Amino acid sequence: MDPECSQLLPALCAVLADPRQPVADDTCLEKLLDWFKTITKAGSSLLLLQENPCLVELLCHVLKPQDLSSRVLSFSLRLAGVFAAQEDCFQYLQQGELLPRLFGEPGPLGGAAWTAPSVRSGWIQGLRSLAQHPSALHFLADCGAVDTIFSLQGDSSLFVASAAGQLLVHILGLSMQGLAEGHPSLQAGDWPVCAQKIVGHIEESLHSTAVPQITQALNVLTTTFGHCHDPWTQVLWVRLSPLVGSLLEKDPVPAAHSLVDLLLSVARSPGLSSSSCGLWETLAQTLNHLSPTQAGPLALGILKLQDCPQVLRAQAFVILLQPLACVLKATGQDPGPSGVLDSATGDSLTVDVLLSSKAACVGLLCRTLAHLELLQPLPQRPCPWPQEPLLGAAVTLLQLCRGSASPASDVGRHLCALLLGCVRVQRAALDFLGTLSQGTGPQELVTEVFAVLLEYLRSPDSSPTVLKKAFQATFRWLLSSPKTPGCCDLEPHALLVLRELLPVLQKRLCSPCWEVRDSGLEFLTQMTRHWGGQAGFRHALLASEVPKLTEQLLRDPESYVRASAVTVMGQLSSQGLHVTPVSPEHPGGQQSLLVELLHILSTDSEGFPRRAVMQVFTQWLRDHHADVAGDTEQFMARVLQVASQDLDWEVRAQGLELALVFLEQTLGQFHSHCPYAVTPPVAAPAGSLAQALQPLCRVRLFEFAFRALFDCDRPVAQKSCDLLLFLRAKTASSSGSLEESRSGPDVASVEAALQRWQAGDQGQPLGDLEPEVVLAVLRSVDLEGLRGALAEGSDHMEKSPQSLLQDMLATVGVLGENEADCY
Amino acid sequence: MPEIRVTPLGAGQDVGRSCILVSIAGKNVMLDCGMHMGFNDDRRFPDFSYITRNGRLTDFLDCVIISHFHLDHCGALPYFSEMVGYDGPIYMTHPTQAICPILLEDYRKIAVDKKGEANFFTSQMIKDCMKKVVAVHLHQTVQVDDELEIKAYYAGHVLGAAMFQIKVGSESVVYTGDYNMTPDRHLGAAWIDKCRPNLLITESTYATTIRDSKRCRERDFLKKVHEAVERGGKVLIPVFALGRAQELCILLETFWERMNLKAPIYFSTGLTEKANHYYKLFITWTNQKIRKTFVQRNMFEFKHIKAFDRAFADNPGPMVIMPGYCVQGTVGHKILSGQRKLEMEGRQVLEVKMQVEYMSFSAHADAKGIMQLVGQAEPESVLLVHGEAKKMEFLKQKIEQEFRVNCYMPANGETVTLPTSPSIPVGISLGLLKREMAQGLLPDVKKPRLLHGTLIMKDSNFRLVSSEQALKELGLAEHQLRFTCRVHLHDPRKEQETAVRVYSHLKSVLKDHCVQHLPDGSVTVESILIQAAAHSEDPGTKVLLVSWTYQDEELGSYLTSLLKKGLPQASS
Repeated sequence: MDPECSQLLPALCAVLADPRQPVADDTCLEKLLDWFKTITKAGSSLLLLQENPCLVELLCHVLKPQDLSSRVLSFSLRLAGVFAAQEDCFQYLQQGELLPRLFGEPGPLGGAAWTAPSVRSGWIQGLRSLAQHPSALHFLADCGAVDTIFSLQGDSSLFVASAAGQLLVHILGLSMQGLAEGHPSLQAGDWPVCAQKIVGHIEESLHSTAVPQITQALNVLTTTFGHCHDPWTQVLWVRLSPLVGSLLEKDPVPAAHSLVDLLLSVARSPGLSSSSCGLWETLAQTLNHLSPTQAGPLALGILKLQDCPQVLRAQAFVILLQPLACVLKATGQDPGPSGVLDSATGDSLTVDVLLSSKAACVGLLCRTLAHLELLQPLPQRPCPWPQEPLLGAAVTLLQLCRGSASPASDVGRHLCALLLGCVRVQRAALDFLGTLSQGTGPQELVTEVFAVLLEYLRSPDSSPTVLKKAFQATFRWLLSSPKTPGCCDLEPHALLVLRELLPVLQKRLCSPCWEVRDSGLEFLTQMTRHWGGQAGFRHALLASEVPKLTEQLLRDPESYVRASAVTVMGQLSSQGLHVTPVSPEHPGGQQSLLVELLHILSTDSEGFPRRAVMQVFTQWLRDHHADVAGDTEQFMARVLQVASQDLDWEVRAQGLELALVFLEQTLGQFHSHCPYAVTPPVAAPAGSLAQALQPLCRVRLFEFAFRALFDCDRPVAQKSCDLLLFLRAKTASSSGSLEESRSGPDVASVEAALQRWQAGDQGQPLGDLEPEVVLAVLRSVDLEGLRGALAEGSDHMEKSPQSLLQDMLATVGVLGENEADCY
Repeated sequence: MPEIRVTPLGAGQDVGRSCILVSIAGKNVMLDCGMHMGFNDDRRFPDFSYITRNGRLTDFLDCVIISHFHLDHCGALPYFSEMVGYDGPIYMTHPTQAICPILLEDYRKIAVDKKGEANFFTSQMIKDCMKKVVAVHLHQTVQVDDELEIKAYYAGHVLGAAMFQIKVGSESVVYTGDYNMTPDRHLGAAWIDKCRPNLLITESTYATTIRDSKRCRERDFLKKVHEAVERGGKVLIPVFALGRAQELCILLETFWERMNLKAPIYFSTGLTEKANHYYKLFITWTNQKIRKTFVQRNMFEFKHIKAFDRAFADNPGPMVIMPGYCVQGTVGHKILSGQRKLEMEGRQVLEVKMQVEYMSFSAHADAKGIMQLVGQAEPESVLLVHGEAKKMEFLKQKIEQEFRVNCYMPANGETVTLPTSPSIPVGISLGLLKREMAQGLLPDVKKPRLLHGTLIMKDSNFRLVSSEQALKELGLAEHQLRFTCRVHLHDPRKEQETAVRVYSHLKSVLKDHCVQHLPDGSVTVESILIQAAAHSEDPGTKVLLVSWTYQDEELGSYLTSLLKKGLPQASS
């Protein structure tokens, strides 16, 4: 602890111990505790307490009967725990009997303060920090803390109850720690007292008829098996598995959700799953006993396991597929030749759930679709994967939701009535359909997929979120269409789809909802990125109104849409897909887009479109876009001038990115594009270097970069610093030959300007700089030092512990006047 | 038992990071999704792990509702929807939807740019999150799904702030968000109709404060500004760009006009400028005066106030007026708490020479306003959030005393469970109604009366039908249920003679009923059967077995009580 903090600490402790002094806000106490945790992690807690006796005094003081705030009491309990985590410090605190008074019966535990959840939480967290060594275990046993923790598992506060469960797991692990190694056959009866007590409590809870108690026990076990894989956990599972299994005999199965978590946690534990304690049988039994809704997560968990008997996997997969099999059956469809869905069709329980109510039906279907979506990309997904029936089911569900399916069966009609217009199922089914694009399907089914997607994209009833997902799914399917070898163009069928799609997109770009227009533009961006160079796509796009509409959206009232339109237009232009008819006002069609984008950059009131313009320009420069390549210097000078005055830091940062690309291109081909690369720069002859720097000077890149060094927004300054360091490294080898201009008057004036800028003064523009001056300034500025300073957050002073202590002390007395206020 | 459950993940006995989970008739709704300005790590967001443990978020939550654009109510939204993985609908008003991304972007800038935090939500995430928003109009009933509906009410506080009524069937909860019960210079007062919700969840920032008149505060403010300007000084007012800035702009503009002052007023470019644009756009959300005059002059088109240009930058001072709250860890907090020496970067120490004033202009209802709102909505119970525990305790007692309703104030993580008695609609069969009508009594609202029938619960519907119809519909056979009662009679005669005596007695008493003496010696009155038997131990006592069906319960009980009185002495 630095001396300044040490000096402030006694006063602060006195304030905290004084019930008349309210504490500003609990974030201060949290931050104070964070600080103590950092200090004790780095050094001896005992020394800390000895050097700062005020801390022990504070802990003693809070125990006095007084009207102390529950926040301070909670803080003190946690603080004591942090100190007592080190055994010598624990002993030190024990000498004064401080710990039993804080954590035992005589402490807050027995008092009125205990009614505050924050105090109970502080008590638990204090013990959690403290329980790190054998002495702590004895202490816990002696002060009867374990019984209190048992009761806190059922606390009215979720936070306290959950922390109590976690603490039990921790204590169990700690008490078994010494005995764990080399005693895999350890019998439960020989276990340490503390562990026996906890296990006994778990057994008792599992015997209970009260569901909350069973849940608590199951949660403790889940965390235990999830965190600890020592041999003793096997003994524990062998002992408890019959009890856990007996829960399945009850109807309905109590705490099913927690039971599933536990069984999966056991199955994932390497030692436990391989032991022969009937785990797989229990899992199979559980799958059978749970309702379709409860069994879904278990089935997914089983299928995600690395090693698991094939029979169980098959059973789990059948359960997972059941709801979709029911949908297929109800709509009179063939569940396919694979047989998996076929065997899943007959479950009447699933049908009952599906038909019982709209909420149950929607819930089960959405869960099933989400589970299958998670499973699809996994390497351990079931094989064979019933791609076709699943595609069929997803398409059918989407049709049912739109009312475009007309099932003949009663169940089908009922389902249709339940799902009609259901946005939740639409969203889930579209997501799932998109994921299925990673597999293949017969042509007629793919045709159906596109048909249903087009139906959704066309429908006036589709909500903006559904449309967004429909666009995404469509793109994924277009992407997955089989390609002709050696050609990455869209295959003929996909081209047909595209011809139908473009009029729909056209309509959507005129939607009154900005969300829809934006999703349409994002879709177009993705398509152009992939197929912009392909003849089929180009032809279809140019024959449509889409490019023209996109251009109009550059003037959309919504800034998000303008930004997306800028991105698309930039891309279309790069691909030669933007052709403005040549008119007297716009000689040379392409030029007008550059002008338009420059206009947006200088005048748009929102940051997003301006940022998008800068990104497009950077890409254009990288790609040697025709407009830029024509007169790169004029382009750079203009863009940098506008960007330097932008109020949005990201635009200025992007300006530096653009400058870096220009710098790289101007200084020739380098091996590395990374400014941080340590590879030695390619030496350039002095004359050619000065020549190479000339264009940079002409576009005023250096003035832009030097000003940016002292930008009020840190990332801009950082970026500029990196850029100049990069340049300095590039030019280092030729420094000798340029030395003579080091003392020229221009250098001094630039340095003076830099100082003014650093002080926050705007000042006059520098004018044209000579390359020699630039190089000299580069050498004289302490760029490394600046980079170090910039690495710290702008609030690092306010975040320091000293500042925190000062603030807490300064608040005393002021608080009453200002009242706690808020936004 | 149907119930409403409320668990604050934030704003339970504290201010900041509002996030309240409400479960009503099986529907789960999250009210606000705010962040805490005082933390720079994960603690700034509510701990969502308590919801994610229930399975997938989108399955568990039916919707998220955002009351207004302040970050302590919406700051965690992109994190929740794009990083934690909530993919369901988010509801807020149109102005909130328009302004929310501006504030989130600004916050992202502070977090990423100034503090250099990695792994923070991106601009794209903010946009994707805002695309999930469904914007609502005031007083428009929005169906989230077939059962859940929500409705927004005007809350004052800031542009677009709303209170929300959440309703499932006959059960409802109202969440106030932050609100102001007194109109200010640019917004109106909060208002709600007498919707009598089961629960009103109200903010309680000023639970114990009765605020002085706004006029005094404003006069004080203008006086201080004026004095400083008159002395040739400058006044710096660091204010939240959205909400209060506009209020102060109007206040200063009006004062400048009245006093014919010439000193320039500037507001910072950037956020305030953008916000002013939205205030002009959503003029219908402001107060009546502004709405009425805006045709001649939009109050947000300021004459004296212009955008600040960096060229004007000079040393600020000699006065700074802080019109709102500053969290620990900011220069504002230091100045407000009276620290006169500030250590800046590079160990540079600045002395605070200027005058510092704190004047609260935050627009929350005070204790009186909260009581007024409770009176307006007439809830069955009240739950306090967004306030300090001690102050809440005081207000809780006051509410319980005055309105005779239960008032709760859960801490974060504590669940309050309220039993409700929902009214469930039951359809009555025409047949049953006709039968009741046939008894000659016309239905009368003022005279409720008993109606016997069988309640059938099928396909989530309830119907009351006659028992015959129920049997028919359900394909069930009727069981005959008979009750038998033993009555002891002191009668030394033979059983047959006792039976005869019973017969004659009943015949004479029950003139309107059909009383019969059957050949086997038993007596019947309608469907009621009476048999006499000898007592096993006492030959002087006879046992009468009276047996009847449940339909004749009334007559059966009457006969039993009649026989218990004994038989009249034989005249012969």
